[in-house]
Amino acid sequence: MIETSFDRKRGERGRVLRDTIIAYIFMLPMLVVKVLFTFWPIIFGTLLAFATVNIGKGFSLEFVGLKNFEELFGFGSFAGRGPDRDFWYGLTNSLKYILVVPFIQFLSIGLAMLVNRTIPLIGLFRTAFYVPVVTSFSVVGLMWQWMYNQYGPINFILTSLGLMDAKNPSNILNNPFLALWAIMFVTLWKGLGYYMVLYLAGLQTIDRSLEEAAVIDGANRWQVFWHITIPGLRPTILVCSLLSTISAIKVFEEIFTMTAGGPAGSTYTAMFFIYNKSFGDYRFGYAAAAGLVVAVVSMFFAFINFRLTRGNDNA
Amino acid sequence: MLNTTPEAQTLKRKRQFQKRLENFGVYTILVLVAILSIYPFLWTLRTSFSTSGGIFEFPPSLIPTDPSFKNFLTVTEIVPILRQALNSLIICFFGVVGAIIVAALGAYPLAKMKFWGRDAIFYALIATLVLPNEAGLIVNFITVSRLGLLATDIGQYAAVILPAFGSVANVFLMRQAYLGIPTELLEAARIDGASELRIWWSIMLPLTMPTIAAVSILQFVAFWNSFLWAFIVMRDRNLYPLSAGMLDLSGAFATNTRAVSAGAVIMMIPILIVFLFFQRYFMRGLEGAVKG
Repeated sequence: MIETSFDRKRGERGRVLRDTIIAYIFMLPMLVVKVLFTFWPIIFGTLLAFATVNIGKGFSLEFVGLKNFEELFGFGSFAGRGPDRDFWYGLTNSLKYILVVPFIQFLSIGLAMLVNRTIPLIGLFRTAFYVPVVTSFSVVGLMWQWMYNQYGPINFILTSLGLMDAKNPSNILNNPFLALWAIMFVTLWKGLGYYMVLYLAGLQTIDRSLEEAAVIDGANRWQVFWHITIPGLRPTILVCSLLSTISAIKVFEEIFTMTAGGPAGSTYTAMFFIYNKSFGDYRFGYAAAAGLVVAVVSMFFAFINFRLTRGNDNA
Repeated sequence: MLNTTPEAQTLKRKRQFQKRLENFGVYTILVLVAILSIYPFLWTLRTSFSTSGGIFEFPPSLIPTDPSFKNFLTVTEIVPILRQALNSLIICFFGVVGAIIVAALGAYPLAKMKFWGRDAIFYALIATLVLPNEAGLIVNFITVSRLGLLATDIGQYAAVILPAFGSVANVFLMRQAYLGIPTELLEAARIDGASELRIWWSIMLPLTMPTIAAVSILQFVAFWNSFLWAFIVMRDRNLYPLSAGMLDLSGAFATNTRAVSAGAVIMMIPILIVFLFFQRYFMRGLEGAVKG
């Protein structure tokens, strides 16, 4: 008995060993790319934050301790100069950008509920709402620059509504007070279809009979929405608002293709700062330090978001 | 037919009226949002075909004036846009094929084999989704430079494609698909003495074709649309994919809106065709990627 069980164990171990070798051969390409282009950037990117990079000398690193952070925050050897204004200004704009999240989420939930019914042509509408999602920001940025043109369609609407002087319309993207909001609108425009599809998938997992039972019990629409639909969507809301919050803090492509941070720095964001420092000034170490600060900030907001959307299980 | 009393009939009529009113409201909102979603595209299309008159005017018109393909000819003269379209196709082809191979191979053991370190690898993959990667572009730039990829044309294509192979979403989608295949099928093949590679190739792959299609479409769209990385890595506008070429075109010829809009139309048409034809796979992939 003991021997056979031992033999079986040995046979089992032999099989697991053989399977392990085969498994790693299968995974080899994936592991190589993951290590090179995902794990390495996380490790090396963190190291970079504590170094300066010599571009000319084969990207050799010179470790400088906390110097990059001292420059960002304005302490230590940079105490006299104060914090890097560009960075903090950019980070402020990135945080302001989070305001787009509730709008995207509420509107896409609403849109998902509207298209979650079997009426004629509904497929066509879903497709139409999704077209902006599959369009590159390199085109979206251009199109919306045209939309916001001084004599473009948006200003036509604004002047018709009397919101702008028809004789002397001005491009919203050139207005330091409005440019960031105008770009947020583009983010909303492009993101709506994406989140709509995710919420639609979420809606279809909600048990229809629950809603019907509530209606029979005399619940009105608002009560059904608030007590059945929203709790049913909670996992989707959690994922979507998390995705949307993190991409708001990291907003970059919209800015890059539309205003390049202008006018007067009013659309300058944290990721734009990182891009400028790295591929404009080639200060890789400093940019990586800024990246680390942005990472900490976005983790903090991800956590807040998690607490807000998780809901109260006792209620 | 039980409720034929007059009261019941008026109630029924009232319900029907409410239903119609609701549908009318729903369609009104849907049409408005659809116009908002599609209008910028129609405007761009109109401008790309217009050859005279004002580009920006009140009220904006969607009917092209003196329509012709002239703007499309102009754009091929001022930038190597056909070459860039070819570059996009090359990048998409090798990018999609490579991403499928990496994900289809890598996800198989994670779903269907017992081996040492499986959980560790699985959790490491999940961890990459939340770990900070803000310096990713910088480090990847250093990596591809050090690998010597930026020195040659082919190397630059590889530099654009390779980092995208690390997509965790692809691996999770494939893993999900493998998990859906009954293990008895595998065990039977294993008892018959089939090698794992053979099982993977002739049993697993054919059964996961819908997911492979979904991953392909998602990857195609991602490669076709991404511009920043190519813009950073490539030094020659003859190597740019269309997406990066658009930045170049709009930067250099910003005043020639007609030609730029023709370029934008060239850039958009393939993706719209692919999306319209394979929409079902696309949506499936998208939902699966988030669930996974």
